[in-house]
Amino acid sequence: MVRNIVVLGGNSHPSLVESVCGALGLPPCNRILGKFSSGESRCEIQDSVRGKDVYIIQTGFGGNGARLNDHFMDLCIMISACKTGSARRVTAVLPLFPYSRQPDLPYKKSGAPLFKASSEGSKNDYTFDSVPPTPGPGMPKSAGLAGLAGLANGTDITNRLLKMSVTNGNESTGKLPNGNAKTNGDGFPFTNGTNGVNGSRELTPTTPKPASYTTHDYVNLSLVSSFQAKPGYKQWVAQAGTLVANLMTCAGADHVITMDLHDPQVQGFFDVPVDNLYGRPLLQQYIQRNIPNYKDAVIISPDAGGAKRATAIADSMQIDFALIHKERRPTRITDRQNASMILVGNVSDRVCILIDDIVDTGNTITRAAKLLKKEGATKIYALLTHGVFSDDAVSRINASALDKVVVTNSVPQAEHKARLGAKLDVLDIAPIFAEAIRRVHHGESISVLFNQD
Amino acid sequence: MSAEMANEIKLISGRSHPDLSEKIAKRLGIEVARTISLNYSNQETSFTVGESVRDEDVFVMQSTATGDVNEGLMELLIIISACRTASARRITAVIPNFPYARQDKKDKSRAPISARLVANMLQTAGANHIVTVDLHASQVRCCPDPKTRGVANRAAVDNLYAEPSFLRYIRENFTAEDCVIVSPDAGGAKRATSIADHLNTAFALIHKERPRPNVVGRMVLVGNVVDKIAILVDDMADTCGTLVKAAAVLKENGAKSVLALVTHGILSGNAIETLNGSVLEALVVTNTVPLGDKVERCPKLRVIDISPTIAEAIRRTHNGESVSYLFTHAPV
Repeated sequence: MVRNIVVLGGNSHPSLVESVCGALGLPPCNRILGKFSSGESRCEIQDSVRGKDVYIIQTGFGGNGARLNDHFMDLCIMISACKTGSARRVTAVLPLFPYSRQPDLPYKKSGAPLFKASSEGSKNDYTFDSVPPTPGPGMPKSAGLAGLAGLANGTDITNRLLKMSVTNGNESTGKLPNGNAKTNGDGFPFTNGTNGVNGSRELTPTTPKPASYTTHDYVNLSLVSSFQAKPGYKQWVAQAGTLVANLMTCAGADHVITMDLHDPQVQGFFDVPVDNLYGRPLLQQYIQRNIPNYKDAVIISPDAGGAKRATAIADSMQIDFALIHKERRPTRITDRQNASMILVGNVSDRVCILIDDIVDTGNTITRAAKLLKKEGATKIYALLTHGVFSDDAVSRINASALDKVVVTNSVPQAEHKARLGAKLDVLDIAPIFAEAIRRVHHGESISVLFNQD
Repeated sequence: MSAEMANEIKLISGRSHPDLSEKIAKRLGIEVARTISLNYSNQETSFTVGESVRDEDVFVMQSTATGDVNEGLMELLIIISACRTASARRITAVIPNFPYARQDKKDKSRAPISARLVANMLQTAGANHIVTVDLHASQVRCCPDPKTRGVANRAAVDNLYAEPSFLRYIRENFTAEDCVIVSPDAGGAKRATSIADHLNTAFALIHKERPRPNVVGRMVLVGNVVDKIAILVDDMADTCGTLVKAAAVLKENGAKSVLALVTHGILSGNAIETLNGSVLEALVVTNTVPLGDKVERCPKLRVIDISPTIAEAIRRTHNGESVSYLFTHAPV
């Protein structure tokens, strides 16, 4: 039992809030967090926070119905409410930090995403060997295993979706998995992705389109591909990282606890202290306990950016290391995708352990797995801190060469676990966060959580 | 050519209300800037800039689409922040319907003052100036922000009024002597009396008890509406519970017909069904909020175009002229 401390949970991850509270031996703070029928967030904190040390747990993920921006605004409003309620200190606990990752778009040399027209029909089905349809705003949207049946004849689903959503005015996007959120049962008019391009005259202002743009395929193809920067100007994509940090500080956060930031530099965005916890000890423990003969395995980084992360594990466990290098130059002029992967290192007849910080659409790791299989790997594990699994990541992974995917529950995994079955292992991070909260509250050092080698 | 001359209006539109942006751009004789906003599959919002805003006078238009307030707000913040990064000279957030405007006071223990939070967030993102229409609580305009260094950095809020447009609508459609202006609650009395004074008509007030948000309690009419056209005036029509009940009260008290003039037609939940089944003859709203197919679904809904007022405010702000003319006059 820890005194003078209040743990307040957002709607994004109720089960994590519960386990953290369980570990700390205190009940979560009573609050009402929902929405008014107008769509504005409603927040009332029912327990006193005066003079207390408040920890607000909200994870930043979206996709498959979860709404990241809603969660983030809820967090800011909760922080502000606690500040207004005279809390002594407010700490935002974000197991997965929103907007920390730069968009994983295929870029051309000038820095803008590549827009290419769809060149061929979609592949019939995912098979063990199939290449997941990759990255290009011009590619047809892959709809998972079930949805592909009608597309075998090469129909461009993006166009079909486009037409469909214009007529289906009231198509609902489905559920709000906001845990105990009080929702009003409205559909979401203007979900995402509608009316992206300004300056185009064929706008359909308020037609709700449930489809969202994804990292890898833009549903509203005609609008996106017709987008052109002014002559002589190089278009660029806004980076929201610093903004998110500033907004949280502006709302009143005094301290931030997060885990495995994609860019550790994000820490520098804040004026307030940021504790970046590591999922590495958990992953290492998993390797030691669950992978037989792990000393003979190879640690793989699926891209150059994650090399440091992967080598840290490889070094401390004294395992071999290999790297997959994404060649961004177009290899052939007819190639629909300009990234080809090259393996640096040897994996034949070895067990491979892919290490990365986040799996979002699952594109990188499934492609890497395919390459590793081709290079003769016997078994492929993928260990990742954050499992977002947005878009059709689950079906993509199900159909891929990956034998095991291991993620932490920084993002709710119940649904993913149900769909991936034995292929997915979930590691519990609640004890780490509970311990971090306890230590921060008591003013103890948390560096012991950083190195458990 | 001096640097002053090169400085132009750049109108950037968010996704929530492109229709209004187009109208404003047309009035101003400019094109909406080439930008694109989209959501990644993990629901992070991304914003791409397709033309230079360096040293320009940037106006970012974003309303709040019903049900998607947070989405629109984040997009707005990201756009503002992007323009700040891209060295815009001045950034004005044009938010016809200020989000969270109703959560403007600590009405319960530990209730958030979200309106203040939103204003502070806009400022943090980099907005120098905020233009809005009929702000629910005018207090939002002067948000004290302890983190901002000095008053000079504080974003100024220009609150425009739909009142001149309403006055014109009433004058064009009714004879002032036949009308009674009614405020559906005590809080809106000032707004209603102002219109009544301008038209030289009678005024009435409905007193209501509100036990919980979005739930309407008992209502009492103060004033005489017998054989008159009762015109309800309010700043916001959300679920329309208040308006419809007020209309029923007015009918019971002998009003010939009842209509409502409301600035922001949020019309969430079952508002349209409620309206269709009510004694309200017409609900007149401005297009500060995207209405979508609501006009087709509700024959009682009339729309006044507010874009001339906003466009004129943008023009005047850009040229450094006074905006106060717009408080009493609606540009045609």
